Amino acid sequence: MKKIQLLALAFLFMGATSVSNAQTADEILGNFFESTGGISKWQAVKGIKFEGNINIQGMEIPIEMIQTSEGKSMVKANFQGQNFFQNVFDGETLWGTNQMTMQAERSDTEATENYKKEMNDFPDPFLGYKEKGYTVELVGKETIEGTETFKIKLVKEPIMVDGKEEQDISFYYFDAENFVPIVVEREIKGGPAAGMVGQTKLSDYQEVGGLYFPHSITEGAKDQPGGQSISITHIELNPELDSAMFAFPENASSGEKKE
Amino acid sequence: MKKITFLSLLLFAFVLQLRAQNITLKGDELFGDLKARHIGPALMSGRINDIEMHPTNPRVMYIGAAGGGVWKSVDGGATFSPIFDKYVQSIGVVKLDPKKPDEVIWVGTGETWTRNSVSIGNGLYKSTDGGNNWVEIPGFEQSERIASIAINPNNTDEIYVGVLGALWSDNETRGVYKTTDGGKTWNKILYINPSTGAGDVIMDPKNPNVLYASMWEFRRTGWSFNSGGVNSGLYKSVDAGKTWNKIHNGFPAGKLGRIAIALAPSDSNILYSVLETEDKTKNGLWKSVDAGANWEHLNSDFGLVVRPFYFSRITIDPRNPDVILKAGLSGSISRDGGKTFKDLGNMHDDIHDISFHNNESDMMYCATDGGLYRSWNGGSTLEIVENLPLSQFYQISLDDATPYNIYGGLQDNGSWWGPNSAPGGVKPREWNRVGYGDGFRVLKHPTKNIVYSEMQGADNVWRYDVDKNKTKNIQPMEETGKPKLRFNWNAPMAISAHQPDRFFMGSQFLHKSEDMGDSWTIISPDLTTNDTTKQNQSSSGGLSMDNSGAENHTTIFTIAESPLDQNVIWVGTDDGIVQVTTDGGKTWDNVTPNLTGIPANTWVYHIEASVHGKGTAYAVFDGHTRGDFKAYALKTTDFGKTWSNIISEDIEKNAFVRNIQEDYENEDLLFLGTELGLYITIDGGKNWSKFTNNMPSVAVHFIDLHKGTNDLVMGTHGRGIIILDDISPLRQLNQEVLAKDVHFFDSEPFTMFEQSGFSGNFGGETQFVGQNRSNQARITYYLQKRHTFGKMTMEIQDMDGNKITTLSPSKSKGINVVNWNFTSKAPKMAEAKTLSYAGFSPLRVPAGIYKVLLTKGNDTYEQTIEVTYDESSLATLEERKEQERTARELFNMVEDLAYLVHEVTENEKSALMVIDEQPKGKKVAQQFYDALENLRKDLVITTGDNYVATAEPELRERMGELYANVVGSNDQVSGAQKQNYKLIAEEFEKAKQRYQEIMDKEGRKFLKYLENNEIEKPIILPKEEYLKT
Repeated sequence: MKKIQLLALAFLFMGATSVSNAQTADEILGNFFESTGGISKWQAVKGIKFEGNINIQGMEIPIEMIQTSEGKSMVKANFQGQNFFQNVFDGETLWGTNQMTMQAERSDTEATENYKKEMNDFPDPFLGYKEKGYTVELVGKETIEGTETFKIKLVKEPIMVDGKEEQDISFYYFDAENFVPIVVEREIKGGPAAGMVGQTKLSDYQEVGGLYFPHSITEGAKDQPGGQSISITHIELNPELDSAMFAFPENASSGEKKE
Repeated sequence: MKKITFLSLLLFAFVLQLRAQNITLKGDELFGDLKARHIGPALMSGRINDIEMHPTNPRVMYIGAAGGGVWKSVDGGATFSPIFDKYVQSIGVVKLDPKKPDEVIWVGTGETWTRNSVSIGNGLYKSTDGGNNWVEIPGFEQSERIASIAINPNNTDEIYVGVLGALWSDNETRGVYKTTDGGKTWNKILYINPSTGAGDVIMDPKNPNVLYASMWEFRRTGWSFNSGGVNSGLYKSVDAGKTWNKIHNGFPAGKLGRIAIALAPSDSNILYSVLETEDKTKNGLWKSVDAGANWEHLNSDFGLVVRPFYFSRITIDPRNPDVILKAGLSGSISRDGGKTFKDLGNMHDDIHDISFHNNESDMMYCATDGGLYRSWNGGSTLEIVENLPLSQFYQISLDDATPYNIYGGLQDNGSWWGPNSAPGGVKPREWNRVGYGDGFRVLKHPTKNIVYSEMQGADNVWRYDVDKNKTKNIQPMEETGKPKLRFNWNAPMAISAHQPDRFFMGSQFLHKSEDMGDSWTIISPDLTTNDTTKQNQSSSGGLSMDNSGAENHTTIFTIAESPLDQNVIWVGTDDGIVQVTTDGGKTWDNVTPNLTGIPANTWVYHIEASVHGKGTAYAVFDGHTRGDFKAYALKTTDFGKTWSNIISEDIEKNAFVRNIQEDYENEDLLFLGTELGLYITIDGGKNWSKFTNNMPSVAVHFIDLHKGTNDLVMGTHGRGIIILDDISPLRQLNQEVLAKDVHFFDSEPFTMFEQSGFSGNFGGETQFVGQNRSNQARITYYLQKRHTFGKMTMEIQDMDGNKITTLSPSKSKGINVVNWNFTSKAPKMAEAKTLSYAGFSPLRVPAGIYKVLLTKGNDTYEQTIEVTYDESSLATLEERKEQERTARELFNMVEDLAYLVHEVTENEKSALMVIDEQPKGKKVAQQFYDALENLRKDLVITTGDNYVATAEPELRERMGELYANVVGSNDQVSGAQKQNYKLIAEEFEKAKQRYQEIMDKEGRKFLKYLENNEIEKPIILPKEEYLKT
């Protein structure tokens, strides 16, 4: 079952990756929004459904990710006829599928509360960051992926880690040439990799409905082997969604959950 | 996107212009995705200079390593992560801002326990975000060693910094500095002279205007050490550093050495100090109960007086002024206010710093020459932190085993060897000890299972027979009529590439043995300057004699036999002499006068005899023990008659050189080991690039290039063994390649290794485990620009263009690496209630040639790679082919079954719909459904879960298990597997027949019903289409 656990890990990472985000930090962010479709277009997005594959050598696992402006989210994979859910959130309850029983289980309260704080990050944490009380800072220029970038520090609402409040800091590296983020880094706060830096590489930006999204996302721990690549094959803006699909299935096993 | 298009156009024009010129990509832009890997080891860890506890959160702590950077723990010291890799790795002190301990960290660089092998720092650094980003604070560039930082807890913009300063030269940056604006501006507020630096600078936390500073006069040379002088002293200020007064009331007159000072946090009047004086009876611990006005001598036990330059640190229990810890050989603890002491419990020798836990005095942390230790019972029992890979190698060497082993010696941690890769990673238990004391050179016999190793000053040279587990001492010894032998602390040894039993050692003479060290012949005159003024080690140390052998001088330090001619041997000495013989030692040519740009007597740290010409060699020179940190490296092609400089401006200031490694194929490709990290040139030294991808700015003491794998292996002095796997793409870099948009590098055929042993990893939760070398096909290519917009994909195809698998390509500018594990796809599994492992077991490809297709936008780039079988395979070629055939047949069978289940399921769906909605057809549909469901229950699991509520395996599970077994096997298909195959194939045939019978009977009736009532037939996809879903 090792491989399945890896998958679960990848899903967890994805939950943290909203499809995001020069001079001054504000100028860089302004350029970013402008060159990816314009702020008003971004603000008009109410929901996004991503379809794609996780490529683990020899296996392409089809996945589906949904995020909405109301803060609802879902990651779903299907293998061998079984639906496997992760990071499903209806605004109140965060839940996912237990790999042993294939039943839905609630995440712990701390994880749920931390997840709730990300509800306002749709479709991008930088969108209206001041109103959200976030701070941004241009740390400087840095070469990453062989490319000159602007390194921007984003501080969001504090989160709880094993009962203690900690700052939620991430670093976005915006390509100095075209102002899209190509790498995002964030300290891993819990679990066996606590203290290491989680790294997300973004590429294959393509236009969907006038907005630019990365279609290739690689997640891993910085300077460690491994990591997961997600290839996005289709993006649907403002999809029609039944809000019941995000609710914790009280009586049904998630594996048999109807869509 | 208009802006971007416009920009790209502009850039395109710019790139066109550029192409006319030479492209000199440097550093991060060139190396792209090429990354170093770390294998530690951490089992002996390495020297730690300083510990810093978070003032309020006991989960968080930091250590500053002597040569391994700054590490942070967020789990109370169970595990650590490095946070200072971009900067110099020699650390003096780490200090947290008392008000903002989660954000503001100060790091003073440069180790302060001034042994012979210490590295250097280059200033003061500050992070304002918990260690994610750092800025260098101007003004301390020349500080070399910063010993202390004190911060006013009421106003954290007010900071004092104690600069110990240079070890090997005069230095005016020494002294105590103060800022009142958080580090923007600084004033030097206490300065004695260019040879006396600041050690401990502490503040009374209850009255931040009260400060104490210990000043130390000290100096080291390559051949001596002096601690003490009339300028050493203990000072106090009561006006926030405006004025200072000596507080020596009670101290003996005369010279003083290194002084430690500590204040009891629970009682500001109580101070303890450790002194080094001219009067041995007055050395050791002193106490003041009136805030330094008067002093009383308490104790001069060994633990209090031992090696003051190495152990002058006192820690007082924050809750009890009578509990005192003293750093030392074993570390000492007093519970009676310093009257008596006992040793701390067993741990690695040489304790440099000790910290109490925030809330609990029974818990403490000790920084030693062998890592960090924790105690839970007041220092009686100690356990080592197992994931700090701070090992300090002096030298490394390699063998030709698979996987190859790395041999090396460490500061105060003996000599070891271990594999570069092991099942589950390189774990502590993989390492084998082969020597005591300080370890230096360790060499494997070229053909026999014998390892040579040594300890400091060649006091012992061991020849270890690994198979017989027998050791013999073989060091050269004094002979009648010959002078006393002078061996360096780090004495050179070498084996011959031409005569496997030939073994060389260097004292002031070159010694040769033809029988693996059993007997020796001196084959040279004294090759050094033999300057007797540099041979008085017995009087070295200053106030406390310190004749450990570490200062032995006028000795041979490096020996290099030409790989092309056994009669050509090079020798370099620690006093700056380069000698060469071309007749096997009959005559020697001192070529030192021909060296260009090298100050006289600069240590010849390494000579590399080239494979590219008999007369070609590289020599690197290290002037750091003379206070000269410049990089020096020369090349000769005429046996040393002329030399050319191969150092460029690219090499940063103070990155003095310890080693050089040439590539065996491309003469212009060179690797330079400096005190501040690894540099690489692809043009023979005209331009150098610092390699920083997962490579800290650590002192690289020794480099070797493994011939079989092209791995570059570095012995670092603070971060263990670091490996840059397969550097062969660097050989192929040239202007033509750099000008291309995409270039695939050629590769040797890849072997599909068939090792399948077991690996347990108990303890891995908190142990450092070294990264393995990838055994996969390593596809490397160069991108002129990072791919960010549009699609970029990679596919493996067979030579007929059939897709084997999809890979996720790396997209960095520069060199990219993508691994392929030789598999194609896993079979599509029948849908069921549980998961079958077969669905995660892809087919492995047969040996042969494959195409790599990289598609980037509208362009496609192609490369072929060759894949071969493992020669050590258990299976013959014929058996291998049978295994591949059987695996393929089972793969198809698994997918056939999946399709059958699809047919069954779709028919069932249709039947259920009729049962629900068509009372007329219910009977027919129910009969059809029941028959199908009975069959489905025999085909796949329909109940239970993936753990202990699992149902009995059905045909899918049993077929899948057999498939996974066969596809995962590295041997011939077994008799049992064949029998099982037969059984499962028969069962599957029967199942298909059953399905057909159902379709002929119940199915026919049901379909007819549908037809008659104009209801849509079940939607059964064509097989090919189904398999794609």
